[in-house]
Amino acid sequence: MVFNSYTFIAFFAIMLLLHNLPISWKAKKINLLIASYIFYAAWNPPFILLLWLSTVVDFFVGRALYTQPNIHKRRLLLVISLIGNLGMLCFFKYGGFILENFVHLTNLLGIDYHPAKPSIILPAGISFYTFTTLCYTIDMYRKESKPVKSLLDFSLFVTFFPHLVAGPIVRPPQLVPQFETPRKVSRQQLLDGLMLLTLGLFMKVVCADTLLSATADTVYGAGIPMGPLDAWAGVLAFSGQIFFDFAGYSTSAIGVALCLGFILPQNFLCPYGAVGFSDFWRRWHITLSSWLRDYLYIPLGGNRKGKFRTYINLMITMLIGGLWHGANWTFVAWGGLHGVYLWIEKAIRDSRSKISNAPSEEVPKPVIVTASFGPPLIGKKSATFVYALLTFLLICITWVFFRSTTFSGAGLLLASMSGRLAPVGPPLLATVDIIKVFVVIGLMLIVHWSMRNTTFLKTMGKMPWWAVSVVWAGMIVLIVLSQGTSKAFIYFQF
Amino acid sequence: MQTQISVKTAVVAVVIALAFFISLEIYLRKAGGFVGYDDGPELWAHSRDMVYEPSDKTVVFTGSSRIKYDLDIPTWEKLTGTHAVQLAMVASSPRLFLTDLANDPKFKGKLIVDVTEVLFFSHRGTTYPEQFVSYYHKRTPAQKASFVLDKPLEAHLVFLNEGHYAINALLGRLHVQDRPGVYPFLDFPSGFDRTVYNRQCIMTPEFVADTNQHNQVKAIWGLLKGDPTPPMSGKDLDSTMLSVKNDVNKIRARGGEVIFVRTPSTGFFWGAEQHLFPRKLYWDRLLAETGCKGIFFTDYPDMAKLDCPELSHLSQASAVIYTTTLVNVLEKEKGWSFNQPAKTVYNLTNKNLSRHGF
Repeated sequence: MVFNSYTFIAFFAIMLLLHNLPISWKAKKINLLIASYIFYAAWNPPFILLLWLSTVVDFFVGRALYTQPNIHKRRLLLVISLIGNLGMLCFFKYGGFILENFVHLTNLLGIDYHPAKPSIILPAGISFYTFTTLCYTIDMYRKESKPVKSLLDFSLFVTFFPHLVAGPIVRPPQLVPQFETPRKVSRQQLLDGLMLLTLGLFMKVVCADTLLSATADTVYGAGIPMGPLDAWAGVLAFSGQIFFDFAGYSTSAIGVALCLGFILPQNFLCPYGAVGFSDFWRRWHITLSSWLRDYLYIPLGGNRKGKFRTYINLMITMLIGGLWHGANWTFVAWGGLHGVYLWIEKAIRDSRSKISNAPSEEVPKPVIVTASFGPPLIGKKSATFVYALLTFLLICITWVFFRSTTFSGAGLLLASMSGRLAPVGPPLLATVDIIKVFVVIGLMLIVHWSMRNTTFLKTMGKMPWWAVSVVWAGMIVLIVLSQGTSKAFIYFQF
Repeated sequence: MQTQISVKTAVVAVVIALAFFISLEIYLRKAGGFVGYDDGPELWAHSRDMVYEPSDKTVVFTGSSRIKYDLDIPTWEKLTGTHAVQLAMVASSPRLFLTDLANDPKFKGKLIVDVTEVLFFSHRGTTYPEQFVSYYHKRTPAQKASFVLDKPLEAHLVFLNEGHYAINALLGRLHVQDRPGVYPFLDFPSGFDRTVYNRQCIMTPEFVADTNQHNQVKAIWGLLKGDPTPPMSGKDLDSTMLSVKNDVNKIRARGGEVIFVRTPSTGFFWGAEQHLFPRKLYWDRLLAETGCKGIFFTDYPDMAKLDCPELSHLSQASAVIYTTTLVNVLEKEKGWSFNQPAKTVYNLTNKNLSRHGF
């Protein structure tokens, strides 16, 4: 079930009631586990079997990995776990994609091979819970944390409904200790949680679904050359939609967990206020980028094996990160473009550090630094703001590949954005839709820039109580007035 | 985590929100607003579930918007003793719905398909049917539960009338000047398209009595005059006919029945339809190729004399007459039998709105 539905409101109200009954901690955990399975089964009940399989296998394999003294047997167990988890992910998520590419390859080689198209349903959130269980077994192999003692706690760690289908991707040390010891939700946690849940729903229902999604859908679905105003409005709309949609889910998830007394990790920190791309990845889908860093980039060698390998490792990580989002080469291109941005940024940073370390004072440092990234700018703060804006615009370009289903579609849209193509028909978007996009994106950038070093709750904490009430009420009113179908979150498909 | 969010803050927020909604509800009711269901995929899927009822107890209708107005479901159910399941969708071609039913081996019932040529014989109007059919087949238990919880709220609160009071509808009504050529926001008067729980669309008495509002809708239909798409013809039309024929044959092979109906239109709309889609080339050919029976409104004086206030749909009073005539024709001419004998046109007043649960 989705957070933005009547079913969830009823489900959550019952959960709050049950979780605050004077019953044992174990009974509360069993309640939470059953509720989490109901939450997941509300999509497609049979897929709960996959979740059980993944949970049970990784619990026992993880324990064996930790206790097994024989290195060869431990490696074998790790391979079994990796094959089990990644194999399941590959079959359900990438089965069709792999077959399609294999067919292309055989056809290129002149072999006439045309198998039936597989009809595989993607289980909701498989990418998320696979990464959650994978990090546990890898941690056990590395002995970085102790195995979870009870199957109940481990099952709850994997299945806990707020994070189950779209993250944040949690690590065992972040959540398991919270299940091991009895916890009672404080009044402050409950209020903060409800505020975050409201904010998350506001981002999803009002900003993403009501104000931006139709414009993005129209432009990305047009498939014809269009004017730069329409093209940019559509691309900006999707840039906002993807943020509000996914950050809305994460914020709701964190809020829901907090209402039950559990703390989930932050997943977004005003990413469009980022100055540069490494800063962006410290703010966007933080739990995925840190997962990729810890379980892919660093094991590949990170930056420990020289400059060349660092660049290669960076690109591999971004390409796989792209592929994680979807079984299409456009997602790989999206990751690759981010990899190129990070390369360029790293090259600039390296050149700057070289200059700062250079003994010669002949080359004026600021000139090189600014020339490598843009024109000289007056004042440090304004320069930083311009860099942030440039970062945002370049990230918008990457979203074109992310949202387009084909490279030709992406190319057409990029050419339209550049103004090099004459529109084939009349303008696409109504004035009110364009105004909506520019107002929402403008406000979003202002908020991200001004809150880039703080959080929403801290900002609320600095406001007078009545102003917080007005903001809160305003969000509730706009959520209800948005109405419409409870659209699924975009990241569910990943 | 240091914050100032307190119980007082939360309570005041809830009070402000509640005060807003209560004020809005009172204001809208005083301004003539009414409750109406969102005619979205949830409500359609709810109706779609009912097509498996026994064929002697249920008749399924599909089509575009006209049959949603022109079929008065309470009248149909009273006269025939059968349940009318409305699967038509505004601004949509029924061909995808027909295909969906044809490909469903469990559907073996009676089907009446409304033909609005400009949508039936075209590639327009596929967005809703694709979305709705897909939603129905992928509907999750959570979505079914949400529909059950949502129904009583929509049945009682005017401000939840999405088509007229949701944020996007309100923003569209600002009528900000568009660039030339942009497809405009279609501002239908609120009394024109009231959807009730059985998916029938009803014009309110206020709308029926107000020629200014009729003209507002006629102006929207006038936008169709600027559509450069030529009527479907040649191989395109051949393949459409073949596809419909195949779908009909699938339903018949399972013991089902299909009848096509052409509901009334008037004024320039009817004139344009006759000109662009001559009966012989489209309607007659459709019946000939599918071997189905058809009911064309001009063939029956009681239907032909009905007037559409905005040229394309019937008022509820006319819908009662149309429905009664339809039942008579089906029984006496098309060989359909119902649980109850057809009766004469029964008296309709605006009070009959209460039969729809309002």
